[in-house]
Amino acid sequence: MPQHELILLKNMMQPGYTGSLQDYEKAGGYQALRNTLGKIAPADVTAIVRKSGLRGRGGAGFPTGVKWGFLPKDYQGPRYLCCNADESEPGTFKDRQLMERDPHQVLEGILLACYAIGAESAYIYIRGEMVLGSKILEQAIREARTGGYIGKNILGTGIHADVWVHRGAGAYICGEETALLESLEGKRGLPRIKPPFPATHGLYNKPTVVNNVETLANLPHIMNRGAEWFAAIGSPPKSTGTRVFCVSGHVKRPGNYEVPMGVTVRELVYEHAGGMRSDKPLKAFIPGGASAPFLTPAHLDVKLDFEHVATAGSMLGSGGVTVMEEGTSMVWAALRLMEFFYHESCGKCSPCREGSSWLVQTLRRILAKRGRMQDLETLLDLCKNIAGRTVCAFGDAEVAPIQSTLKHWRQEYVDLIHEAEAANLIRPEPARTT
Amino acid sequence: MTFLDKHKDEIAEILSRYPVKRSALIPLLYVAQHDQGYVSESAMQEIARLLGLTPPQVYETVTFYTMFNLKPVGKFHIQVCKSLMCALIGSDTMIGWIKTKLGIAPGESTADGLFTLSAVECLAACGTGPMMQINEDYYERVTEDKLDHILADLRSTGTSALKSGPFMWPEPVNSKE
Amino acid sequence: MSDTTAPMVRISIDGMTVNVPKGTLVIEAARRVGVMIPHFCYHPKLKPDANCRMCLVEVEKMPKLQTACSTPVDEGMSVRTATTVVNDAHRSVLEFILANHPLDCPVCDQGGKCDLQDFSHQYTATSRFVETKRVFQKEYFSPLIETQMNRCVQCLRCVRYCDEVMDVKALAPVGRGTMTEIKHFGPHPLDCEFCGGCVQICPVGAITSRLSMYEYRPWMLKRADTICGYCGDGCQMTVHTKGKELIEVNSAHGAGRNNGDLCARGFFGFHATSHPERLTHPLIRRNGKLVQTTWEEALEHVADRINGIKTAHGGTSVGGLISGRCTNEELYLFQKFLRVAVGTNHIDSSARYGHVNGLHAMRLVQGTHRWTVTFDDILGADVLLLVGTNITETNPITGLKVKEAVKKRRATLITIESLEPVIGTISNIATLSHHHFRTAPSDIPTAVLGLLKAVVDQNLIQPNVTQQHVAYVGAVTNALQNISWQDIQTTTGMAPEAFMQAAKVLAGGRRVVVLAGQLLLRSERGYGGSLTLLDLLLLTGKLDQPGCGFAPLAEENNDQGAVEMGAVAEFLPGVCSVTNQTDRDRIKQQWSGDFPLDVGASLVEMLDRAKAGSLKAMFIVGENPVGSLPASLRAEDALRKLDLLVCQELFLTETAALAHIVLPAASSLEKSGTFTNTEGHVQAVRPSTDPIGESQPDWEVFSALSILLGSPMEYAESKEILKEIRSVIPGYGSLGPTPLPPKVDRVTMDRYLTEGYQHDLAARYRLVIPKSRPDGTLRLDLVQSLFHSGKFSTRSKGLLQIEDKGRLRINPVDAARFALVDGDRVRLSSTAGEMTTEVKLVERVPQGTAWFPDHFGQAAVRLFDCAIDPITHAPSLRTATVSMMRVA
Ligand SMILES: Cc1cc2nc3c(=O)[nH]c(=O)nc-3n(C[C@H](O)[C@H](O)[C@H](O)COP(=O)(O)O)c2cc1C
Ligand code: SF4
Ligand code: FES
Repeated sequence: MPQHELILLKNMMQPGYTGSLQDYEKAGGYQALRNTLGKIAPADVTAIVRKSGLRGRGGAGFPTGVKWGFLPKDYQGPRYLCCNADESEPGTFKDRQLMERDPHQVLEGILLACYAIGAESAYIYIRGEMVLGSKILEQAIREARTGGYIGKNILGTGIHADVWVHRGAGAYICGEETALLESLEGKRGLPRIKPPFPATHGLYNKPTVVNNVETLANLPHIMNRGAEWFAAIGSPPKSTGTRVFCVSGHVKRPGNYEVPMGVTVRELVYEHAGGMRSDKPLKAFIPGGASAPFLTPAHLDVKLDFEHVATAGSMLGSGGVTVMEEGTSMVWAALRLMEFFYHESCGKCSPCREGSSWLVQTLRRILAKRGRMQDLETLLDLCKNIAGRTVCAFGDAEVAPIQSTLKHWRQEYVDLIHEAEAANLIRPEPARTT
Repeated sequence: MTFLDKHKDEIAEILSRYPVKRSALIPLLYVAQHDQGYVSESAMQEIARLLGLTPPQVYETVTFYTMFNLKPVGKFHIQVCKSLMCALIGSDTMIGWIKTKLGIAPGESTADGLFTLSAVECLAACGTGPMMQINEDYYERVTEDKLDHILADLRSTGTSALKSGPFMWPEPVNSKE
Repeated sequence: MSDTTAPMVRISIDGMTVNVPKGTLVIEAARRVGVMIPHFCYHPKLKPDANCRMCLVEVEKMPKLQTACSTPVDEGMSVRTATTVVNDAHRSVLEFILANHPLDCPVCDQGGKCDLQDFSHQYTATSRFVETKRVFQKEYFSPLIETQMNRCVQCLRCVRYCDEVMDVKALAPVGRGTMTEIKHFGPHPLDCEFCGGCVQICPVGAITSRLSMYEYRPWMLKRADTICGYCGDGCQMTVHTKGKELIEVNSAHGAGRNNGDLCARGFFGFHATSHPERLTHPLIRRNGKLVQTTWEEALEHVADRINGIKTAHGGTSVGGLISGRCTNEELYLFQKFLRVAVGTNHIDSSARYGHVNGLHAMRLVQGTHRWTVTFDDILGADVLLLVGTNITETNPITGLKVKEAVKKRRATLITIESLEPVIGTISNIATLSHHHFRTAPSDIPTAVLGLLKAVVDQNLIQPNVTQQHVAYVGAVTNALQNISWQDIQTTTGMAPEAFMQAAKVLAGGRRVVVLAGQLLLRSERGYGGSLTLLDLLLLTGKLDQPGCGFAPLAEENNDQGAVEMGAVAEFLPGVCSVTNQTDRDRIKQQWSGDFPLDVGASLVEMLDRAKAGSLKAMFIVGENPVGSLPASLRAEDALRKLDLLVCQELFLTETAALAHIVLPAASSLEKSGTFTNTEGHVQAVRPSTDPIGESQPDWEVFSALSILLGSPMEYAESKEILKEIRSVIPGYGSLGPTPLPPKVDRVTMDRYLTEGYQHDLAARYRLVIPKSRPDGTLRLDLVQSLFHSGKFSTRSKGLLQIEDKGRLRINPVDAARFALVDGDRVRLSSTAGEMTTEVKLVERVPQGTAWFPDHFGQAAVRLFDCAIDPITHAPSLRTATVSMMRVA
């Protein structure tokens, strides 16, 4: 297996590393903060991050430095940083590892981002279920406060930044950045209409940056080793750095693997994750979390970077790679994900709200062998009518499983419907008009 | 004593984190739920008053999130992840085990009020499934044997050493090579 | 709301070019060129939420369809609303919405006026949905409002209206996704302001009125646009009738001064008109009993008796009292009838109870008898000062303007009120206040003095005023220097810094509007307090500035009209002084009839004269002095002494029960005319049903009597009276859509600044230190209730379902002190009397205080002493100290 340098997982992979402040400092932690605060102008930090090519690891892959640059320059009032630790995308579990095993790396990233954007308050919005993670972060914040890294007058530089952990309470949609802000404001987590974007009207209507945990964890390394170093890793110029891929499903060694962007799925699955768990061949995989369309063995050599995965018809998303072996029912798989989306649709937009329940029920019926041929056309139509017509990207995400499984494994649907027809469980009849 | 009085210091600390009071809503609901096992109507009223909200405003927020219970649940709330990733590696089987052992299906509680079972969506432990969360703790890579131990532990001591610590899986593989 | 100062941009909609202010929403821009973009969640009153996705349109250069409701226009934008793609999108959204909709139109009250029905028609939309529909458990929602959540399209218009416009926040979208359901709180039935806004704004049949459930289809109804008769706000509403039956009342978006918003009284209060106790025939007293008679007999009897009394004692032995709920035409004819046909100036109206206080003050200082501002100036204000007005409950729609100014347009709000800023089931203006001075009602003038003192102390007096009116500024400054901050603080409970800050805000405002309510206007210091508020505006240089002004809130719907029509002792129509020779001559000529020279007797004086025996007869129209005046005025004794008491009424009130003749009057839903609202806007009243029984519009009665008395005042319809009013008051009520307020009269203002102020300055600028209340007592205040207004409302079945009787509202802390819980019965006693009532715990009532709703107040009024203002003759209730005891 090719040897890659670990960046984000490096410390925690050291035997005995506990993630305490002491361990983190011993491993060179908080050097970036020391060398940056008051020494490099905030605008220059943003420039360095822009130059590094770092793109968001939360899903959309937006260039981080560019996002920071959208904040109003001359605005005097408070600004906020929100660390998106909602990690609820099925198939994704990297942020949890980063927070639970090396919390100070995340904190240092948060502090650097606060400095760059001029925020004196940062909230880590962590999904409610991750109780342990929130406790570990809170402990780390206490340590960092004692160590002089958080609070008033950080390291004697006259710069202030406070960090709080804010627990969500069970709602996937709160990972969407504007829903996250609503939730953080104590409301129902309904995404906001954009524009305006959080950069100008974010938390409490103030300029705000929302960044993913992994995105932020990269910052200390970029500041320590330079934009050029980072920009050379992975698949430059557009997909730089490493990704912590979360491999799940039918593999021998599921787990998180940090590799430079651009490795192939084949390498990730067969070399890092130890190959398929039984010796059945790989049938399907999702390259970037539940919202990413399914791909087939034909895509095993697609490079895992933003562009190549997109060209292959899917997306890199959150880096959750789920692998399915031969024998897995694709209709069933699509239904499982669709049930997730139905459960999590916030209900704001009519197409998403009504569509998700409709899609789930139709898939269930097909799987229960009560489908009809025209269901397939309806399914595709509904998907088309949801995608791109909603307030947030959830609408696009929820149709991915159905669209992609219908594209690659249509025959499985057809077979189920034929079985239904053969059993005469339901007589084909024209669609009921209402 | 109202629950606000009972947790006065904790609540004051929570309020101090936010420039706008309403932000403290979810944290305060946790305090309430922790206190009583569920979010009671009077707790919602007290919180509304404290935050300058109307009770319906608290109620709409409470009901948006899945983690707040409006009714008491079992002492141990078992939540099994049933999303695709865990389902691929046996979460349905695991629900079956629990059904046999405790006699409850998702959405039900045992007669003694000890256990409530729910099937939930992805809990960000897909690499270590099948998994479940019981109250605040994760239990990963659950096998039937392990499940027996966990249930026995919970019954006898109220906790189990088999719960997960900080994220560990896979074992530091890269460093071994 | 598009900003009028925004630059214009040119855009194209379906090929049509239109110029609109930059930032206008595409959906509104399209409306201007007649293109209606289908929508559910959008409403011009609400912030765009773009949740229904029905309004998708193509915008050139944008890859995806955009929601017209949330997309602002920009120069050169090109929008297409009718392409195949757009049509397909609309149809598909409808398909989604129809998926879970029950399609129960045949049993839905919205049928025929339902947006979903209309769009389905328009797009011949169907749904391919064959799965199981979502079903919500049916739950009881409220006595007045019905919900059928299966029909809900989850546009959240109701929830957003309740929050953004009303500030009530009573509705909660509960749950998530398709299972989101609109509820109140947990399993509780709705408890709120019952403004009916959710019913009005729901685009489908999910929220409907229970008052008219299953009774109609829209096409069966006849509609009449008229003005609500409940309060001085003067809301335009549409009354729907089916045959003789009143079905519902609503108000279209954009309609009237209320912009389509209503309160509970307007929306649910209409049934009072059809109450079974309505008087349907004239009554005459025979052998001590009132018995039915004919109009001929009743009117002839009245004319005979009046003629007799006139001959024996002169016209001035007759007096008249009329309600500010009558139309201008009736008020005008009433006073003309009394002055000319009877020959008396003893005329008064309900405006005497408080409205005259503000009005006299405006006349003295600024030479107007109306506001110099309008509702639009409230919206446009950057600083609002509310004095003694629990505006939500007294003038709910003016209250909405204040809320909009504060919430949407970021005006700074200063309030001097007795309200505790606590959130409850109805909105509380004090919770929106930036500077809230919580003071007992009797100390409100002291708090106003505090503001003035802070203006003087911080040298915030406008330099021009200081230079040009040295004596005035000197006198005010001197007077204020004699008042110590210490005393202000002990009296009001507010620290000097609070006054300093608020004064700075006031002085720094560019458009400052001061609203004064009943707590000030109807108090012993209603007149003086109003003058002092005008001083505040004068000193800070605001009074004559555009967008600034003093706005005393009228209580009854036509109090303003009552004064302008001359239905008060001291004024002729047009608010001319009775003793002004030029005006007298002019009006005498117009009327071709003479009338007495002297200023007539006001209400209290009339009662005194009746008691003394010099007043022999009275006409009382729509007023109930026996039920509403404090016991100490002994109204009943006075009226019993009269040789003739004629009452024109809807119901047999305590006063009417004493009458010799009772004439059934038509309600405002049954007649034409005009009302003048609190901002001085004259609006048309139109009949929506026929008068009940033999009842007659009041003016027809005056007209008939005038003929019998030999000074015929004949009119074919009320419009002719309005024509005559216009000849007396040029241009009166040229019914435009927006009022044009008068300007401050500089000559009068200068006169006030040089000498006018002197008259009672010392009295006004004297601190009244409240006597301390004995332990274990409460101070009792009569307050208004949002759900009632006048005796009329207590006969409305809708309003009675919300509030069916007067309950004494006390603070929970006091309740605990007296070991009382909600619903306990208590006996209150003061030196003047006692009463028994039920208590209701309400947090916004300050500790140590008990509030009793005015309009259930007959029993409570007895506990008060009365004061009379020496200048305006307004009677007012003095603070009552009561002890309270629980009774079984
Ligand atoms: C439905 C939905 C769910 C999302 N969930 C997450 C999440 O759990 N964690 C996350 O970091 N970003 C999530 N995102 C992406 C965020 O909206 C946002 O793009 C991200 O936090 C920005 O951070 P980044 O630029 O560092 O990636 C989600 C987006 C959508 C549309
Ligand atoms: S797309 Fe779905 S999840 Fe996103 S805002 Fe709309 S309804 Fe909510
Ligand atoms: S009207 Fe535009 S989305 Fe509803």
